[in-house]
Formats: sequence, C-alpha cells, structure tokens
Amino acid sequence: MQEETSTKDLTARLALIESMLAEGRRQSESWGWTFLLWGVALYVAIVWGTWGQKLSVWGRSDLAWPVTMLAASLLTIAIGLKKGRRQPGTTVGRALVSLWICGGISMFLLFPALSISGRLDQHSFVAMIAGVLGIANGVSGMILRWKMQFACAVVWWVTSIAACFGSDAQLTAIFLAAIFICQIVFGVYTMILESRRRPAGVVHA
Amino acid sequence: MPELPDLNPVVHEKLRLALLSLLAGVEEAEFTWLRARTGATDGNLGAHLAKLERAGYVAVKEKFVQRKPQTLYRLTEAGRGALTEYVQALKQLLGAAIDT
Repeated sequence: MQEETSTKDLTARLALIESMLAEGRRQSESWGWTFLLWGVALYVAIVWGTWGQKLSVWGRSDLAWPVTMLAASLLTIAIGLKKGRRQPGTTVGRALVSLWICGGISMFLLFPALSISGRLDQHSFVAMIAGVLGIANGVSGMILRWKMQFACAVVWWVTSIAACFGSDAQLTAIFLAAIFICQIVFGVYTMILESRRRPAGVVHA
Repeated sequence: MPELPDLNPVVHEKLRLALLSLLAGVEEAEFTWLRARTGATDGNLGAHLAKLERAGYVAVKEKFVQRKPQTLYRLTEAGRGALTEYVQALKQLLGAAIDT
C-alpha cells in the first residue's frame, strides 16, 4: 500500500481528518428560537402581571409568571426534543445545555421560595433574573468565543446593576429594553445565522 | 535511516477515515447524520461502519425515540487510539517524503 500512497494523497488524508473533525465538532444545534420564545414569554408575563387585572380574560395577574414560565418551559422541552433528536451530542453542546438548564432550575426554585416567604420585590426579582442570564450568556459566549453573545451578557449585567437603583417605571423600561436586545433581537439574529449554515461536506469513497 | 511506519488498512480507507474523524468530534452520532456528512449511500456506509465495528473501533447502540428506530455510533478507545496512531504514521511518512 505504501508504494501506492503519494505525498499528495497523504496530505489529502490529513486534510480530510482535519475537516471531518471540525465538521463533527461544529455546533449544528439550533438554539436561536429559544431566545425568541423566552423573550416573548417574558413580555407576556410582564404584560399579564402588570396590566392583567384590567383585562377581564387575564384577571388573575398573580398567575402570570408561574403559568407563562411553566408554559415556556414545556414548549422548550417539546421543541428541543423534536429538533435535537437527529443531532449528535458534543461535549461542548452538553456543557452549554447543562448550564442553561441549571440556571433555569435555580430561578424556578428561588423565585417561588422568595415569593412565598414575602422577601421578593420587583427590583431584586429583575436583578436576579438579569444576573443569572448574564452568567449563562457570558459563559456561553466565552466557550463559543462569540462576541455577540458576550455583549448580551454585558447588557444583562448592566441591567442587573441598574435594577438595584431607580424607580419602578425605570426598572420596567430597562428590563423591557434588555429583553428586546438580548432575547428578541439576538434570537432573530441567531436564527438567521443558523439558517445560513453551509451544507455538509461530501466524502467520495 | 529509520523504518517507515505501516498505515493501518482499516483506518486508511477514505470513507472509514472520514467516519472515524467525524466520530472523534462528537460523543455519538446517528446513522443518518453520518450519511449526510459523508454523502455516502446507505449500503456503502453500512458496510464500512460494520467493518469498523468488527475491528472494535466503533460501538453501535440501537434505540427507539418516539417509536422510531435510531442507530447510534460511538468511537471506542481502540478506535481513538487507531486514529491517533494513523495520524502519527501519516505525519512521519510526510516528513520522510519531504526529507527525500
């Protein structure tokens, strides 16, 4: 065999190994929709929770956050399972998904507990949500070396600090703006990037 | 002059080399994903994966997801070792080719 293998062929094989390794490690999952979904869910919860009492249909504004967040979680699980069924698992992918799931679990446990104990106010609620989202976006951005996602983390960290100061109206304005930038705009931007991914390479045996 | 290494014939075949390299980048992958990435036909891909399985380089797992069968392939330690050795041998051969 060795006599048959030319330098050109050996180089081509090295290139093949490199390209296939990169292809396998390439993030093929699509998660842009989750940012959009959760952005919309946060808007629904805010609108329902703030102005719900004035609407006859959504009169129970105390249910706004638990119902919306639970519905968004179930939708995320259902769509995620359907979309991720055919994708191979990578260590990086598993690390990122674990990070977001654990951040979500922390919020699902912490906020009801704080609410029941009467120690939760609007400002600390937004500060904590923004803080956790800052961590999740920051870690994801650093692992993926993605400046846009890290910029979202910076926006969330600024929101987290700003939530500790100012009036309720200012708090609502900054929270809505952060959701728009980091969930809606970033989600749509990510979905556009994901749709433009190049097709898979072909190996002729 | 040092003796040049032999290239492992199981790994050397182009499609099998591509499969081992693809699997080295993921934890496990489905048959259809491997087919899409390599552009191989079902029969060709199945035959080469079977050869890699017989050599102990890949492990196969069958499971049902939402009532649909899924065949998952994973690179074994032996497979990872064989690929690493192959790359080293390849580099040694290329080095020798440049020196001559």
